[in-house]
Amino acid sequence: MRTDELIAALAQDARPVRAVSPWRRCALAALGGAAVAAVILIAWLGLRPMGEAMANPSFWMKAAYTSGLALAALALAAQLARPGGRVGRGLLLLAAPLVALAALAVVQAAVTPMADQRTIWLGVTWTLCPWRILALSIPVYAAVVLALRRLAPTEPVRAGAAAGLLAGAVGATVYGFYCRESAPAFVAVWYTAGVALSAGLGALAGGRLLRW
Amino acid sequence: MSAAVAAKAASGAGGTEGRLKELMLRGLDGEAAAHAELLADLSGYPRGYFARRLGAGAADLEDLVQETLLAIHLKRATFDRSQPFTPWAYAIARYKLLTHFRRLGARRMVPLEDAGELLAAENVEEGAVRHDLGRLLAKLPGRQRALVADVKLQGLTLEEAAARGGLTPGAAKVSLHRSLKRLAREVRDED
Repeated sequence: MRTDELIAALAQDARPVRAVSPWRRCALAALGGAAVAAVILIAWLGLRPMGEAMANPSFWMKAAYTSGLALAALALAAQLARPGGRVGRGLLLLAAPLVALAALAVVQAAVTPMADQRTIWLGVTWTLCPWRILALSIPVYAAVVLALRRLAPTEPVRAGAAAGLLAGAVGATVYGFYCRESAPAFVAVWYTAGVALSAGLGALAGGRLLRW
Repeated sequence: MSAAVAAKAASGAGGTEGRLKELMLRGLDGEAAAHAELLADLSGYPRGYFARRLGAGAADLEDLVQETLLAIHLKRATFDRSQPFTPWAYAIARYKLLTHFRRLGARRMVPLEDAGELLAAENVEEGAVRHDLGRLLAKLPGRQRALVADVKLQGLTLEEAAARGGLTPGAAKVSLHRSLKRLAREVRDED
């Protein structure tokens, strides 16, 4: 086909186009993925007693941390979903929860006696936590990648990393409905590790999956 | 060199962004003619961009151009109306080039350049011509340079160019004649 013929054919198809909102599409995908992850969590590990959790500040601390990460990741993914999108502001948003929780963890470590240091850093589930978060992130990643493919990310690896970050953060938020670990130090290390794992794998897979 | 090409070369990329964006917005609103004009206008830019990276005679050049135009068409809903058009189109062209290299199995980096790269000289040859022209014109005094550019590159009539330069048509004619003679001499001396 000659280029001018292609242009003529494409011009035939020039119906009015409504602008899409990458932010909304990624958010809806993440919510859908979160619902699937929640079902998996309930079938697999169950929920912690919610009445007790709601009264517990550590539940809210974890929820605030992971949903803060999720919001920042959402901003990043939405930026990278458009050709030529820049990450700029999203990275600052991402730094906020990381810095805040790291500060809490350092304060906690400073006021904790030597004998209890192991407990606040490792809890009882440190060997499981990152892997469970990663497992719960899978349905979220799948949904976000599907949404991104229908948009136009021109940097597949970065967009994949943002999708993985979003999936990990959502997975970690869902996991908080089961996990009873309450120390900021634990969350800062092991929740973050699970989210980072998801982001890293998301970047690797993104290079292959985000083609259009 | 055709007048249209020369005019484009002389007008630079600044006005191009405004024009392309306007066509894009009208196309998004469903104006088929504007959309066709945009794609037609646009086809030269990725062609130049790719030619400069693959070589002007590359076999896949036209395929790549068509893929880019198709992607621009199919993904036009992702264009953010509050943003400039060129970086958006450039990112798509660059993405298509990356995909092309990946298909070839070559692990090649495509540097992320300024989006203006897309609007740079439309093809290799034209870029060289523009470069030479600019260098030659720079040898003329300001007023004569403006006159030559207006008449020979922008395609204004002698009268219009004279008015712009604040000259009488007669004086402009003499000045233009002298300038061209001088340019001819410069070219001869260079060769």
